[in-house]
Amino acid sequence: MARVEVKKVHDYLWEIPKSGEMNVPGRIYADQESIEFLLAEEKSKEWDALLQVRNVACLPGIQKASLAMADIHPGYGFPIGGVGAFDLDAGVVAIAGVGFDINCGVRTMVVGLTRGEVEKRREEIADALFRIVPAGIGSTGSLKLTMKEIDEVLLRGAPYVVERGYEAPEDLAFVEEGGVVEGADPSCVSAMAKERQFKQVGTLGSGNHYLEVQYVETVYDEKAASAYGIAPGTVLVSIHTGSRALGHQIGMDYQSVLQRASEKYKIPVRETELVAAPIRSPEGERYIAAVKAGINCAFANRQAIAHLVRKAFRSVFGLDGRDVRTLYEVGHNNLKFERHLVNGLEKELLVHRKGATRAFGPGSALVPERYRAVGQPVLVGGTMGTSSYILVGTERGMEETFGSAVHGAGRRKSRKQALREYRGEAIIKKLAAQGITVRVHSKPGVAEEAPGAYKDVDNVVAIMEGAGINRRVVRLKPIACIKG
Amino acid sequence: MALRGHETIDHAADMGIRGWGRTPAEAFEEVASAMFEIVVNGRGLAPSREIRISREGDDLTGLLIEFLNGCISEADVSGTVLVEVTIGVLGERNGKWYVEATALGVPVADARDRLLVEVKAAARYGASVLEREPGAWVARCVVDL
Repeated sequence: MARVEVKKVHDYLWEIPKSGEMNVPGRIYADQESIEFLLAEEKSKEWDALLQVRNVACLPGIQKASLAMADIHPGYGFPIGGVGAFDLDAGVVAIAGVGFDINCGVRTMVVGLTRGEVEKRREEIADALFRIVPAGIGSTGSLKLTMKEIDEVLLRGAPYVVERGYEAPEDLAFVEEGGVVEGADPSCVSAMAKERQFKQVGTLGSGNHYLEVQYVETVYDEKAASAYGIAPGTVLVSIHTGSRALGHQIGMDYQSVLQRASEKYKIPVRETELVAAPIRSPEGERYIAAVKAGINCAFANRQAIAHLVRKAFRSVFGLDGRDVRTLYEVGHNNLKFERHLVNGLEKELLVHRKGATRAFGPGSALVPERYRAVGQPVLVGGTMGTSSYILVGTERGMEETFGSAVHGAGRRKSRKQALREYRGEAIIKKLAAQGITVRVHSKPGVAEEAPGAYKDVDNVVAIMEGAGINRRVVRLKPIACIKG
Repeated sequence: MALRGHETIDHAADMGIRGWGRTPAEAFEEVASAMFEIVVNGRGLAPSREIRISREGDDLTGLLIEFLNGCISEADVSGTVLVEVTIGVLGERNGKWYVEATALGVPVADARDRLLVEVKAAARYGASVLEREPGAWVARCVVDL
């Protein structure tokens, strides 16, 4: 018996109509096959994403709709791929809308080499990246911080790391928010969180975090590609990681705080993880200040890794640091105060994006000037054997999704199923035969992240384009992948 | 089914874990073992470090999550991978549940070739600690990877 009913709006959009305790409808970007997959899960699985879309729609102060991008899959309280925007006076901040990996995101850098030059030496550059960028469980970074200095990271983000010699200053104009958000408060972050993190700035992590050397295989939007300075054959490096242990600990620490806040402010809890506090409550304000510290930590982390990526390219190809420029960096597990149109009026909202990427369209003042005429690059990770994409936000996306996009392919098979079906060694060999070099810190981890465990990323981005929310700019193919 | 044991459970994106035993303490020890096995292949590893973990929770399920997250945090901050845990005390006082435990493990560097996947956190979503029948406790949750 289905707990959630959906109706078709158009070929790429489905709606859970507003009913019962829902304050807004739920809207899911999906095609027929994807929605059937989700509905089958909804009937058969204990954890399901559609029910989570509906539960988010019941939260106080939510605006317009509880949204799910095309890479939707079950999360904790919020679905992965979920977007929820809240009125600042009547609305809440929900820990599930951010998750444990605060400001996990992607930085993509353009390398001043041809595809042929890099492919000839792909084993060497993979080895150099594997050696130079710390990754895997228990790894420590080269940036030595004291416990006092970790507060500087939380307050000042990427610019602080640049000051510490992790170049380059010109990167910052191409990082979301310039690599630092205002309002972070290190006093809202526990000593345990800081103690876990102060050795980990500049580490990749493990699981689905990776470094990937890629090339532009297909250009779909020449104008946007030209604005981004990329063309067929352009070589790029993408860094996928977040705020590491600090973000995880903030999530752990505030779970019980927001649970008590839900009781105190009489916010119904429809799933144990979907706890929340009013945005303008002391608990909500402290959590938001802690998340902002986590956001800055992730910006700093990716900046430090970008420096190490340059070092790796210098060691193999003798490149100057400026030959590896930042194209863009954007997070996909975030809270952001943003201005959007609601019922024709512009208002400030608190936007939660859990496994969803900010995707501001043409003309936004928050898009770097160089890209403003076309819109912000949206960095979408694929799998190590398939494709990644750079998309661009659209005006329709600004209206319908608060300027949001997918963040990746989205899992289709559980990790256990992947471990049953794939072997890490076999995947590495198969990819090598396709011209893709893989270096890993854990072979079973590779099996869990097997390309076949994910949805077809080509289809996921096609759904968003079909709905007019995002547009494809380029498709990227991997040359080398370093898994954490 | 054995009197005590543990297993992992399918979850769409992460991993479910379940432990069972004759008491809540045994169930906690088992579910922690399931979590440790996600992080490291600890078979044959001789523990050389001891870590104390003390946590409180509003109820038994809350305590389970605090306990597992305590294991993750304390292991991380000391650069240790854990392989087993023994609950010393688990009880209720003044309306709060509490646990005191001793976890054993090895330095990360000594297990480098056995490491699998990092666990970010134990989540409350789907978590429970239940006495299915007299003397048969089951603890379960999902861990974020």
